[in-house]
Amino acid sequence: MADSQKKKRPVPEAGQWPDKLLVPVLVAGVVLTTVGFLMAFLYAAPVDGAEVNGFQLIGSKLVTHRQLLSQKIFYFHMPVAIVSFVMLIAAAYYAIRFLASKNQRYDTCSRVAMEISLLFVIGTMITGDLWTRFEWGVWWTWDPRLTTYLILMLIVIAYFVMRNSVDDPERRATYGAVISIIAFIDVPICMMVTRLIPTSIHPVVVRQNGMAPDMTITVMVCLVGMLCVAYGLYRLRFRTVRIEERVEALKEQLEEE
Amino acid sequence: MAQQNRQRLALKHPSTFAQYRTLLSKDLRQEFRTKEMVTSMGIFAVLVIIVYGAALALTAQSIDIASMSGGLIWALIVFTSLTGLNRSFSHEKEQGCLEGILLVPLDRSVIYLAKATSNFIFLALVEVIAVPLFMFFFMTTVPFAPTFGMIVWPLLLGTIGMAGVGTMLATITANTRSRDVLLAVLFIPLIYPLLYACVTATTAAILGSAQWMDLYTMPLVMAAGYDVIMLLACWVLYGFAVSA
Repeated sequence: MADSQKKKRPVPEAGQWPDKLLVPVLVAGVVLTTVGFLMAFLYAAPVDGAEVNGFQLIGSKLVTHRQLLSQKIFYFHMPVAIVSFVMLIAAAYYAIRFLASKNQRYDTCSRVAMEISLLFVIGTMITGDLWTRFEWGVWWTWDPRLTTYLILMLIVIAYFVMRNSVDDPERRATYGAVISIIAFIDVPICMMVTRLIPTSIHPVVVRQNGMAPDMTITVMVCLVGMLCVAYGLYRLRFRTVRIEERVEALKEQLEEE
Repeated sequence: MAQQNRQRLALKHPSTFAQYRTLLSKDLRQEFRTKEMVTSMGIFAVLVIIVYGAALALTAQSIDIASMSGGLIWALIVFTSLTGLNRSFSHEKEQGCLEGILLVPLDRSVIYLAKATSNFIFLALVEVIAVPLFMFFFMTTVPFAPTFGMIVWPLLLGTIGMAGVGTMLATITANTRSRDVLLAVLFIPLIYPLLYACVTATTAAILGSAQWMDLYTMPLVMAAGYDVIMLLACWVLYGFAVSA
């Protein structure tokens, strides 16, 4: 019975049309992110921080506020966080597709999206921690938003721990799909907790005064660049995993014949 | 003759509620006979309290312990429920009970509801013992705030959520290697929002300061929202997890 099931299982495809886009998208992403990096320092105006006594000469300018150089991390922190959310949504979407169809291909999609998401979640944690250290003077604070992001990271790591401790591929795929859907449900709750608990000291950017146009453009360039990088990485990883699966399937076929 | 046979074989299809009741009473009867889960959880709770005794030996001032006790009670509950949830599927796996249940033509979500209910009952039973014990050991110097009785609601909502999510995760981890560790790794991050809300509400009720309502209502609403969302999600997804 196991043999007949194996024969019925289609051999994974060797590649798809989006693979042709892979290199241009990845290059575009890297270029855009670099441009965004330069824009953050050269184009976007510095943001006023704490007020100084009267006027003070900093650099060669007379200013009333200390200029926040550390605020530049924002141009990378926010896009990275958004991309990690987007990849998490993709993982949950493919998880639902998998549960609906039981097609192993969607499980691979979901897993690879989760891997890329983990990469960007860790990126968010690192950039966020740099900000925390320089602006709030501590390496870590149990601010609800930081905490919920840490929790999100732990769930994504737990997802991979779980995958590693199940042997049967069918079962592993189903459990992975269930966990990634639950992790996806955790994201809105994470957002809600950060909005509803009043003690948060995390700056809420869009709600306060909104962003100046130069800031918006810089953030958008970074965001589009990082989305391209994430998509390129996703396709690259997906193709690798898929071809590995194809080799395994072909080997099994040869052994049977 | 064939007609007669068919009539004799015709079975009454039990209602969903009857199936639920049967499954639940199976769990309860098993527990009453072996007393395995409640005993191990109860002993574990006492052990955690002893560890607290050593850890808090130098913080005897009543003001410290009053503001910390909400969190300590919840840490106690989380670790105790972890040990209980780990055990909750061991009977099913060891004696092939789960395969038997899965052969019965019933909706998978009924299994989930029955299992979550029995887990909820065991957790609540242990809390009824552990929370007064905690108060006896640590809170006798603390003057009781008039709002103290309100800790029942966060305890109730927290237990419902933990039993619901925990049942789902225990089902998943029962089929994995290193399941004890894995359950903790999955369980603690996933219930974090609930834990946070419940600790805030419990502490507000224990302290009972003038503005306690501000710190009490919102977390309670959030805990209730978490329960509804997570239980619905687990209820929908349980069929996939248990049949895999």
